[in-house]
This record gives sequence, structure tokens and C-alpha cells, in this order.
Amino acid sequence: MDRKEILIELKKVLAPYTESKEMLEGINEQTDLIKDLKINSANLVDIIIDAEAQYNIEIDFDAAEKMYNVGNCIDVIADKINKTA
Amino acid sequence: MISAGNDIVALKAIDKERTCLPAFYSKFIIPAELLLHNPDQISFENFVWLLWSVKESAYKYLKRGDSDLVFAPHKLSITEIRVPDDLETTELNTDQSVGLFYAGTVSFKGAEHHFQSVLNDDFVGSIIKGRHSCWGIRRINATDYSSQSAAVRLFVLDKLKESLTLDSLEIKKHAAGYPVLYNGNEPIDIPISFSHHDRYIAYSFQIPN
Repeated sequence: MDRKEILIELKKVLAPYTESKEMLEGINEQTDLIKDLKINSANLVDIIIDAEAQYNIEIDFDAAEKMYNVGNCIDVIADKINKTA
Repeated sequence: MISAGNDIVALKAIDKERTCLPAFYSKFIIPAELLLHNPDQISFENFVWLLWSVKESAYKYLKRGDSDLVFAPHKLSITEIRVPDDLETTELNTDQSVGLFYAGTVSFKGAEHHFQSVLNDDFVGSIIKGRHSCWGIRRINATDYSSQSAAVRLFVLDKLKESLTLDSLEIKKHAAGYPVLYNGNEPIDIPISFSHHDRYIAYSFQIPN
């Protein structure tokens, strides 16, 4: 799965937690989950759990703390996918 | 460092079933913290969100002193939770009925910080307690982000205007993301923090000595 494919799936993971649907359509690697997508911090763990299910991976403490913008989310997910492949 | 940090979680807006799954809470609660749960005092799901709100409050408090800090809740360790004998509730500005108060300690890199929390059936709210901390919690009707954001700014400014005779108080955002109080173009040395979730908004600030 390349970064573009991960991004497409990531939009589905993020969709339930943002009311900024237009911003979600146009996200790029710099998009911040809280500042730009206005995702409530109380949903950050939901996003990690949903990403684990979506990509069939496990995201640990250290990886989870990096997932504050889209590019970092893709980095973590790509790394975990590669390790389970 | 004089700072402010708070958080609020609307308990009716969270997924209660998911909250109690180890796969969920183990993402931010370390095993030693689980030993702090006293089922006679608090349900497990409320305990989980109490810990979240304390950790989020501590992160906001510390972020003001370290702009590069990222939210790593497992590195913020809650070491004590108690039901205080003497409730310091006078600084809490709320029209909501407050059920239970908690206090305790959260540590980060060896430094301890004291917190206070309130909990009822609808929300859990926390602050990191300074010498002169003030905080407020209010219910609003709108749940969209922009309404919440505007309402919480108005809420804290209304409170500050009770004691500050400044004409042009406004709140701007620091590049690191935390709010800063200004009078016109002059920053004011009163650290403020706010939070909103679903129908609840909350603030805290600290008056310097």
C-alpha cells in the first residue's frame, strides 16, 4: 500500500470525527488533525483504534504520539504495515 | 512557570462500551495508574475519562513552557487521586450541579503538578491547580466547533472583565496553539486555557502573584 492509498483510507478513518468535510476532502500531509480538521482531542484514541482496524496493524504508545498531522499518520501506518508484511 | 491547563469531556458524547475496552484505555493509561481505580468512588468508564482530562490538562499546562511538546499521555503519570476533605470550590464558576470533586497529582519528567477535577453524569472537567487558579464550566446549546469556540472565549472574557478594567481584552492564538490574552496589541500576563466538547465549554486561568 503506497502513501496515496493510505491517505485515501485515512480519510475514511477521520471522517466520523470531523465536521470540516471540505477540509477533509482537501487534506495533505501537513494537515493538522486538531488545528485544521477541528477534531476534538477526546477522539484521538478513537482514531488510533479505528486506524488499527482499518489497516490491520497495532499502534503503540510511541507511534501514537506522532499522529498529530496527516503526514505523520501516514508515516506511522506505512511503517506498521511494512513490519507486518 | 505560571501556566494554565484544563480539559472537559462530555460523558454523553463518548462511546461507553469502547471506553472500557483494554485496547482503548491502554493507549493512554499505564498499568500503575489502573491501580488507582477505586470502584467504590468512581465507575471505571468515568475513571478512564477523569485520567484523560487530567493528562490533557497537564499537557496544555506544560505546552506553554515548551512549544515543541507533543501530547504523549503515557508519559504523564497520575500518581494520586483522592476525594479532598476541604473543597476549594470558590474559584469554580459554573451553573451546573457538580457531583463529585477529585484532587491528585500528575507527574512529568520528575516534576509533580496538582490537579482538581469535577465529575457528574454529564461531564468531567479538570484543571492543573496553580496558586491562584480560576475555572469555569458551562453548558451551551450548540455543538458545532465554531459556536463552541466563540462561546468559550466569551465565557472566559466575561469572567476576566469582572476584575480587569481593560477596554480591549481579546484572545489570540500563539503559533504553538495555546490561547494568549491581549489588551489591544499588548499581551497580558494571565495564562488562560480552554476546552470544549459537545455541549460543554470550560476555561481556566491563573492570576499571577
